[in-house]
Amino acid sequence: MFKRVLAFVSLLALVAVSCGGAAATPTPTATRAAAPAPTLAPTAAAAPAAQPTPTATRAPAPTPTAAAAALAAVQVYRVNLAGEPETIDPNKAHFASEISVAKQLFDGMFSFNQDLTVRPVLAEAIPTVANGGISADGLTYTIKLRPGVKWSDGKDVTAEDIVYSVKRMLDPATAGQYTTFYYSLKGAEELNKEKDAGKVPALKDALGVRALDARTVQFTLRQPDPIFLNLLALWPVYPIRRDVVERYGDKWTEAGNLIGNGPFLLKEWAHQDHITLERSPNYWGRPAKLQRIVVKMVTDVNAELAAYKNNELDVSRVPPGTEKATLDDPVLGKEIVRFPELVTFAFQFNNTVPPFDNKPLRQAITTAIDRDSFINKVRNGVGRPATSWIPPGMPGFDPDLGSQYKLNPARAKELLAQAGFPEGRGLPPLKFQYADTAGNKVIAEFLQANMKDHLGINIVLEPTEPRAFSALITQKKHTWALLGWGADYPDPDNWLPELFGSGKPANRTNYTSPAFDDLVKRAKAELDEKKRLDLWKQAHKVLIDDAPLAPIFYRERFFLRKPWVQDMRTTGMDGQLSGDFFLAELYIAQH
Amino acid sequence: MWRYAVRRLLWIIPVLLGVSLVTFLLMHAVPGGPWDQEKPLAPQVVQNLNRRYGLDRPIWQQYGMFLARALRGDLGVSYSYQDRGVTQIILSGLPITASLGALAFAFAVVAGLGLGMAAAIKQNTPVDYLSVLFATSFASIPGFVLGIFLLILFSATLHWLPTGGWGSWKQLVMPVLALGALPAAYTARITRASMLEVLNQDYVRTARAKGLPEVAIQYRHVLKNALIPVLTVLGPYLAFLVTGSFIVESLFSVPGVGRLFVQGVFARDYGLIMGSVLFYAAAIALLNLAVDLLYAVVDPRIKYA
Repeated sequence: MFKRVLAFVSLLALVAVSCGGAAATPTPTATRAAAPAPTLAPTAAAAPAAQPTPTATRAPAPTPTAAAAALAAVQVYRVNLAGEPETIDPNKAHFASEISVAKQLFDGMFSFNQDLTVRPVLAEAIPTVANGGISADGLTYTIKLRPGVKWSDGKDVTAEDIVYSVKRMLDPATAGQYTTFYYSLKGAEELNKEKDAGKVPALKDALGVRALDARTVQFTLRQPDPIFLNLLALWPVYPIRRDVVERYGDKWTEAGNLIGNGPFLLKEWAHQDHITLERSPNYWGRPAKLQRIVVKMVTDVNAELAAYKNNELDVSRVPPGTEKATLDDPVLGKEIVRFPELVTFAFQFNNTVPPFDNKPLRQAITTAIDRDSFINKVRNGVGRPATSWIPPGMPGFDPDLGSQYKLNPARAKELLAQAGFPEGRGLPPLKFQYADTAGNKVIAEFLQANMKDHLGINIVLEPTEPRAFSALITQKKHTWALLGWGADYPDPDNWLPELFGSGKPANRTNYTSPAFDDLVKRAKAELDEKKRLDLWKQAHKVLIDDAPLAPIFYRERFFLRKPWVQDMRTTGMDGQLSGDFFLAELYIAQH
Repeated sequence: MWRYAVRRLLWIIPVLLGVSLVTFLLMHAVPGGPWDQEKPLAPQVVQNLNRRYGLDRPIWQQYGMFLARALRGDLGVSYSYQDRGVTQIILSGLPITASLGALAFAFAVVAGLGLGMAAAIKQNTPVDYLSVLFATSFASIPGFVLGIFLLILFSATLHWLPTGGWGSWKQLVMPVLALGALPAAYTARITRASMLEVLNQDYVRTARAKGLPEVAIQYRHVLKNALIPVLTVLGPYLAFLVTGSFIVESLFSVPGVGRLFVQGVFARDYGLIMGSVLFYAAAIALLNLAVDLLYAVVDPRIKYA
């Protein structure tokens, strides 16, 4: 059999040669085959099943309909998720890309407005002490659900669906990654830490969440938690259908199995290739303007940009370092969208490892960083210099905080002398660790140059493979390392206590301050919003004054968007997909 | 020959065992685990994940469990794609990678043999020079450079071809070219050299003297004898192509298995690493065996006992 195949192949080659003669190379070239039909949008061609709905092909000048003159006839939005989501199960999702998809498929009790205040979605109203939604002691939250909310198969969404989801999320067997956020719920920590599967059902029954009736769900806390409403607006507590999970097991999130209650349906999930979301006909709210969202999984950013230029994508990132060239581009320069994110980057010291246990030394280093030229020269003007930890756009941001750390080489040298290392004499070699990526390398080299120029000290760079770097940080074996942090919910509570509280596992700086700990304790128990934010402000100030880390910049999102994409509403907390809180409002203008 | 084949097949079992053990040990020796993410996880969460994935057990037990499952054809669970099994992930990508690889292989064989033979037959003519130019340039351009070049030319500039994905023939053109160019170039060079050698053999002159038609000479006497060195390079290329390429699959967003191993290593996805290594080892062992058996078919002098 092999022989025949081989004979056939060689015969083909011979024919090719004899036909070729003196003419050009006999190879079948791609150009000839591909020449005809330069279609602009072959997106939908990738979907194997032909759908009755119109495809993504941009019809030449569709006649405007009376109903929506500005709307294109075909409402398809094509985006890139930059990779396959690991899971879209709300109880388990933890990466920005996964959350972006889950947000389209599910509606929770609450979500966020564009200004990041909490807005009711399935809930009828924001519960307060005044309207009886929150008990006076702050321990009981009673949430009334809107009537008429449907699952995509037409069944009613009930309080029981939320109760089931919360219990499943906290079940240790689910191994959800956001469980610790919900430990203020009565019985949550006990349930999540239970090692004996036999005891789990009883602990689930005892959990502080129950359905009072079909449309009322009640949460009981073990201690007051002023940010509990924020937590109820996050994806881990989206309602989930018990019958679907029990029927399909781990496969319940596949297309065809998944039943959601969001503005879009999971029409298709071609793994590693694309996800197709379609407008849900049973959606309880205002139906999405988009008929379909095609979510591609292009991992290479150069390929993503090429696809954008080839009109296969409506939005695209740009390769790092090409921001300046993009701004100068006559076409792309007009399609840039930028907005500040709730993300801060800093150089974190390991505060217990000499010489970083020396506060004046940390302050000297923090004062010797030229953040303005970092933003302008290294980041091409993208981002904003940071002298404090909590970013602008968050409650608790203080624009004046850390102003003493603006570049001042003379002051920095003074501090260095104060630290006992005049002119850097006697200072052991400083080592700086970072995850070895192209972007981080630039940041690390910038730091190295700054320390040399402004303090006259040498630092040794230690690039480490990303996972190994994460392990190094988790084990607190680093000396000085790069730290980035993005908001899970818009509150200082997400930025200070776990990261800098004494002895907290997530405290990678090993920072300890009784004054800070005391303010944290009070802020966490304070139910008066104004007083609470003031306490966080004080805690933030204590932290910055002690300089356990040297803030560098607040990140800004920078991407390209086709001019026909309308009504994209972004927030500083968007997931992988920009505007993912409000995709149901986005539409494609006629073009 | 059948006894030989069976013996070689049986040998694959200890090879796979060895490969899996070495991979397993190396994988656990590398710093950083599947839960060491950029945003650190709470210790309680890590504990629950370890329990769910059996990572809280002694390491020899984990290996034993893996073996026991693998024997039943179940390569275990993926640590990063939490709701999918490794077997399922590999099986869904395999047909895609294999067809892409087979097409690229066909392209390499047709273009490589064709160019090489044309060059040899028309030695020292423009055909020869062109073919050598092609072979030299494509042998020295790495796949990702060629890939980006194709993307810029055919998609971003000319708008002829989609940038990536899977499903239509248009999406195949660029990945096949990017993947097949290098093997095609090598094949062309080796075919040319090998043909030139055979063309000068006495038996070719005899055949010409007998007055055999040129096509018969080229096909029956020259090509067949020139093929053995070509086959030696084509065998490994076949294995290389049908197991997929990380770079080409990433660049053209091909949902195949070529990306899985590298992704698995970066993510410390122990399940995916073990599964894909075992799969690659088995595929390469089988393909090498096929090539060895093919030698005997092409060259009657080679006999396996």
